[in-house]
Amino acid sequence: MTATTASSVPASQQSRVTPMRVAKVVVLLALLIGIPPLVDSPFITRVFISALMLGTIAAIYDLMIGYAGLINFGYAGFLAVGAYGSALASFHYGISPWAGLLIGGVLTGAVGFVAGIITLRLKGLYVALMTFFTGEAIRYTISNTPDFTRGMQGLSTAPFTDILGLDFARENLLNYYFLLLVLAGIIMGLLAWLVNSRIGLAFKALREDQLATQSLGLNTTKYKLYNFTIASFLAGIMGAYYAHYIGILSPTRHEFGVPRTVEILTITYVGGRGSLWGALFAGFLLIGFQEYFRGLGPWRLVLFGSLLIFVMLFARRGLAGLKKYVW
Amino acid sequence: MDYSMLLEPGILAQVLSQGLVRGSMYALMASGLSLIFGIMGVKNFAHGELFMLGTYVMFFALAVLGLPFPLGILLAAVVLFFVGMGIERTLIETLRKRAGRDWLLDAFVLTIGMMVVLQNLAQIVFGSDRRGVTGLIEGTFVSGSIVISYERIMIVCVAALVGVLLWAFLAFTNFGKAIRATSQDPDAAQTLGIDIARIYTLTFGIGAALAGLAGALLISIYPAYPTVGFQPVIKSIACVILGGLGYVPGAIVAALLLGVIEAYSVFFMASGWQNVLTAGLVVLILIFRPAGLFNSAKVERA
Repeated sequence: MTATTASSVPASQQSRVTPMRVAKVVVLLALLIGIPPLVDSPFITRVFISALMLGTIAAIYDLMIGYAGLINFGYAGFLAVGAYGSALASFHYGISPWAGLLIGGVLTGAVGFVAGIITLRLKGLYVALMTFFTGEAIRYTISNTPDFTRGMQGLSTAPFTDILGLDFARENLLNYYFLLLVLAGIIMGLLAWLVNSRIGLAFKALREDQLATQSLGLNTTKYKLYNFTIASFLAGIMGAYYAHYIGILSPTRHEFGVPRTVEILTITYVGGRGSLWGALFAGFLLIGFQEYFRGLGPWRLVLFGSLLIFVMLFARRGLAGLKKYVW
Repeated sequence: MDYSMLLEPGILAQVLSQGLVRGSMYALMASGLSLIFGIMGVKNFAHGELFMLGTYVMFFALAVLGLPFPLGILLAAVVLFFVGMGIERTLIETLRKRAGRDWLLDAFVLTIGMMVVLQNLAQIVFGSDRRGVTGLIEGTFVSGSIVISYERIMIVCVAALVGVLLWAFLAFTNFGKAIRATSQDPDAAQTLGIDIARIYTLTFGIGAALAGLAGALLISIYPAYPTVGFQPVIKSIACVILGGLGYVPGAIVAALLLGVIEAYSVFFMASGWQNVLTAGLVVLILIFRPAGLFNSAKVERA
């Protein structure tokens, strides 16, 4: 039991700012900003986009599971709401993808809010089951309404329109990467601020001991609802970005079903629950690995699953457990 | 569409038998899931992969070894019993010992990992071909306009027999009593000298055997392929929720109901909407009766 408590409270909270750490952050940022334009290979840029995108999505997931103990097992369905919300808005009503980012966020936030109101009175596993069925219902609804969403035929999405003199035609991958850097920066900043705020403290308290938190007079359901809604809103933004980056959406299992949720969940767990930044590192590690071993086919997923099992059993803090050696 | 045709005995019997066959499969799956949940608190998301392994054992028993089908079904149940016990001993017990207080949520994630690994290993070993065996029993039962294949009757009968055996095992044997005691109060059971770790292993084995048996029994409808377990596991999770988490009889009733409802729903909606229907039903139940349809027990609310 002491092990659990120790593993779920990362030592990062009292992180001090030392010159060494500042230097490390600067180097990492420089690599992040510098590598894709310097290497200038579409393949590398795509890998960086996938890694940063899924890493950020996994960090948002960490807000739910790592900071409040809520498993959203229909997460991919929530991403689908953001992706399809924005894509359909531009497809049917000609709304700019830039506004679509917000539309995707608001729609998914609304779904999260409603699902949250329904679910969050209940305990752990019920949340997982409820969100799972919500996610599946979303996905099946998309595939069953081909007149509106084009279903399994796939919905082609508009690229972002040019802005500030930047050309967002799809072949300008680097601009998509920089846009993602900005989005990820804003979202990660927001998450970091949130988990260190008073609200974040409440999240951690209710994850550690719900009853004790309640007896201190905190309305735990309310805080869970905040957590869930905010996470869904941010996930929706990422979903909308994904839609306009990827070019075509279809409600398959691998894109918006269980395998995608498992992929994100693995990134979060490998990064280390409740570590927030760990998810980004795990994103680059796992997606990089996945792209490098494209030829492995199904072995790739076997390795993903085994890694998840291994982390669950033997490395419960994930990559964040290595922090004391390198940070 | 003319709904009056639904009342013709021939069509009624057709749809009902189809619904009961589906329902039997859901019931076998759901009772295993519910047993594991009721006793260990673990929600086994890899249950569909145990079903999948059952279909492969059955296929190889029949098509490669040339065994008669009752032996194939038995073999699937036995093999999966040991696979289940092995999984519990190596993975789930390790987790239970290491994770402490909140291990159940972690166990759920662990079974997700197991699902991914088993599914893709099957993909690697067997490829994605569908390997089915049809016509376990030839012939149909005919009475007036009612026509039902003997195979459907066999499936429902075997499932019912297994249900009765399971009930008798839990009600009358010492192991069964120890299992029930553990589900009521693990600490008290341990004080009375019951080896909890052994009960957990056995329970997981039985649940896995039921899943394997379901897979073997339905080989002619669900051929063996790596992702065959996905629909059955979703539906049986739904039944477990509808019947009340951990309450086996409730899960069985819910399974039969869901099977029949799904069979009938084909008349009213395009087949793709069945999954939305199931998911919608579950969501409604979780909102209004989170303890399930037939369970008066209280749900732990947050």
